[in-house]
Amino acid sequence: MVSSALFAAPNSNLEGKDKVSRKKRFWFAIIAILPTFAIFGWVRMFPIAETLRLSLFEWNLLSRNKPFVGLENFRELFQDDQFLDAIINTAAIAFGAMAVTIPVSMVLAAVIYHRTRSRFAGFYETAVFIPHVVSLVPAAMAWKWVFDAKLGPLNRLIVAFGGEAQPWLFDPVLSVICIILLVSWQTLGYGVLIYLVGFRNLPKSVYEAARLDGANGVQSFFFMSVPLLKPITLYVSVVTLISGFNVYAQAFILASDTQGAPGRLVRVLVLDMLENSFQNFRVGYAAAEAVILLVIVLVLTGVQFGLLRQRGRK
Amino acid sequence: MGKLNFIGRMSTILCLSAGITVGGHIAANAEDIVIWGGFPELQGYYERVAESMKSTHPDLNVIVEPIGLRDHEKRVALALSSGLDETTVFELIGSTANRYIVNDLLPSAPANVAGFVNNAANFEPFFQEVAAVDGKVYGVPIFRGQGALFYNTDMFAAAGLDGPPKTMAEYTEYAKKLTQRDASGNPTVSGWSLRLSGGGGGIAEKFWINLHQFGGSLLEKAGDGYKASYANDAGLAALRQYVEAVSGDKTVTVEMPADAAAFQREQTAMFIRESWVIGDTAKKAPNLNYKTALLPRGSIALPVNLYVAGGSEKAQKAAWEFAIEANKPEHLIWMLDNVGWLPNRSGVDYSSVTTAKPQFSAFVDLPDDYVFFTLPSIEPINEILTRFAAKLTEAYADSSLVGNDAAMMAVLEESAAETNKILDRAGILGK
Repeated sequence: MVSSALFAAPNSNLEGKDKVSRKKRFWFAIIAILPTFAIFGWVRMFPIAETLRLSLFEWNLLSRNKPFVGLENFRELFQDDQFLDAIINTAAIAFGAMAVTIPVSMVLAAVIYHRTRSRFAGFYETAVFIPHVVSLVPAAMAWKWVFDAKLGPLNRLIVAFGGEAQPWLFDPVLSVICIILLVSWQTLGYGVLIYLVGFRNLPKSVYEAARLDGANGVQSFFFMSVPLLKPITLYVSVVTLISGFNVYAQAFILASDTQGAPGRLVRVLVLDMLENSFQNFRVGYAAAEAVILLVIVLVLTGVQFGLLRQRGRK
Repeated sequence: MGKLNFIGRMSTILCLSAGITVGGHIAANAEDIVIWGGFPELQGYYERVAESMKSTHPDLNVIVEPIGLRDHEKRVALALSSGLDETTVFELIGSTANRYIVNDLLPSAPANVAGFVNNAANFEPFFQEVAAVDGKVYGVPIFRGQGALFYNTDMFAAAGLDGPPKTMAEYTEYAKKLTQRDASGNPTVSGWSLRLSGGGGGIAEKFWINLHQFGGSLLEKAGDGYKASYANDAGLAALRQYVEAVSGDKTVTVEMPADAAAFQREQTAMFIRESWVIGDTAKKAPNLNYKTALLPRGSIALPVNLYVAGGSEKAQKAAWEFAIEANKPEHLIWMLDNVGWLPNRSGVDYSSVTTAKPQFSAFVDLPDDYVFFTLPSIEPINEILTRFAAKLTEAYADSSLVGNDAAMMAVLEESAAETNKILDRAGILGK
C-alpha cells in the first residue's frame, strides 16, 4: 500500500500535467486552424448555403423585393426544355470526357512509365501535361479552327482520306462530341500525371512474381496494374466528372462569335445558369439550377466511391 | 529595445501603408472615371474624348474598358447590383437601362445635363424619350444601331443584277442568282448571309428585322402590356424564307462563314447589318466594292445612351461632363468616319463623311415612310429573344419544314405560347 501510495502520487501528478498539456495542445490546434475554417466557411460554405436559400426565392438581382416561392423554381425547371437540354448535354459531356480520359490517361501513363529510360521521357510528360496548363480561351479558339467546317484541318484530313466533310460545330451530336474532345484533351494531362504517381508507387515485387509466372506486359497491365490503380482511378474519375459537369467556357467559345460563322450553342448547365442570372435576371431560378447541379455531383461522387470500395473489398 | 524597435518599425510601415491606401483611394475617387462600353471598336473614340478634356480637367484620369456586349451587360448587372467604388460611365441600350432605373440603381442626370438632352436642337424626341423615364432624364444619347443591306457590287454585276433587291421576294430571287456553287452543286459563296446559329438573342433580333419587312413584329402592345405577335402570316412568311434559303434553295447553309467577316472575305454576296460594318470594312477590306441599300419597309433602331453611377460627387460631375463632351460635333464626326456607328445628335453636319463614304446614305438619307422599331423596355426582353432564338435555330436546320406551312406555323405557335408565358410571369401579358 505504501509503495503504491509512493508511486501513485507522482503518477497522478504526471497525468495531470499531461492532461493540461493535452488541453493546451488541443486549444492551440483549434486556434491555429480557426482562421482556415473561418475562411473556408466564408468563401465555400456560405455561398453554398446562400445558393440553397436563394433557390427558394424569386429575385431579379436588382429589386429589394424578394418573394418566397418555395419549390416553385424547381417545379418550373423540370418543365423547362432549355434546362432539360442543358442537363442532357452536360451529363453527356461529363461522362463522355470521363470515358475518354480514364483509359487514355492510364495507357499513356503506362507507356511513359515503362519508357522512363528513354531520354525523351521528360518531353513526353511535359507534352501531355501542357494542355492542362494552357489558357482555356486561346486553346478553345484553336480547336474552333480545327473543327471549322470549311477551313478546318480536321475536315481537310477527312476529305484527303476520301471521307465527307462534317459540320462539326453545327450538328447537334457532333457539336457535343467536339466539346467532349476538348474537355478530354485538357484533363488528359492531369490524369496522366496522377496515374504516373500511381505507377511509381506500385510494388515491383508483384510484377516480378507475375513475370516469373509467365505473365506478359499486356496481362500485367490488365490483371495487375488496373486493379491496383483503383484508388487512383477513383480520384481521376471524380475529378474528371466534376470538372465535366462544370463545363462552360468550352461550350461558350466554340459557339459564340459576333462575327464570321458562329457554331451551334451547346447548352450546358453553367451557361444556362449564367444566362438566367445575369441576362434574364432570374437569380432564384439560376440558384435552383445550381442546387440541382450540386446534388447531381454529390450523388455521382457517392456512387463512384461506393462502387470502387465494393469492388476493392471483393 | 530590440522588441521596441521592431514594434516601432512595424507601426511605421502599417501607418504608411494605411496612409498610402487611404490616400490612393481618395485620389481615385476624386479624379478617376471609368468608361465601360460594350463595343470595343469605340475605344479610340472615348480615348479621343478624354484627351480633349485634358485642358479643362488636367487631373482627370479616364480609364476606357470596353468588352463584348453580352459580357458588358453581365458586368453592368453585377456592378450596379453590388455597388460601385469608382465613378463609371456606362454605355447601355435604352431598353436595358430601364430595369436599373426603375430599381433606383442609376441616378438621374443633373439639371444642366437634362437641359442638354431635352434641347430640341440637340436630339429628336425619339432619342429624348429613350434617355428618360417618366419624363426624368437619366442618360445622354450617343449613337444608335440601325440596319441596312450591304451588297457586293462585283458579285451583283457578275450575276447580271444592276441594283439591290427592293422587296422580300426579290431578296430570295437575288440570293438564288448570287449563290456560287461547286461542281456538286454545294454553295461555296452564299447569296444572302443570314444569322442561323450562335448564342444569345441575336438570332431572334435578326429574325425580327426580316419579320418587320413583312409587316410583322415579335411583340405588340396590348392594353397595358405586350403579347407575342409572330404566329401569323407575317411570321410564317419570314420563317418560310429562312427555311427555304437553308434547306430548299440552299442559297446559304448553317455552317457557311457568315456576317461581316464573310462579306469582307467575299464569302457572301449580301447581308443586313448596322453601319459599323462600313468602318470595319474600311480597315479590313479596303478594296472591297460594295454599296448599301435601304431595307424594304424599315429598320431596327437601338439607341445607346451614356449613364453615370458610383463614386464621389466631384467625379460624377466630371463623368457627366464627359458624356456631354462625347457629343461634341468633332468627336461625333470622327466616330462616324472612323468607327461607323451613327451618332444621335441632330444639327451636326456629317456631309464630309457621307459624301466621302456613300455607303452611309442608306443610314441617313431616309424616306418619310421608312418605319423604325426598337426593343421594348421590358424586363424579360432578353429571355424572350434567347428562348425564341433557340426554337429558331432548330427550325432553320430542320429540312422537314420545307414546303410544310402547317409545321412551320406549329413552331411559331409553340414559341409564341412560350413568349406569352414569360410575359405573364413578368406580369405584363396584354389581353
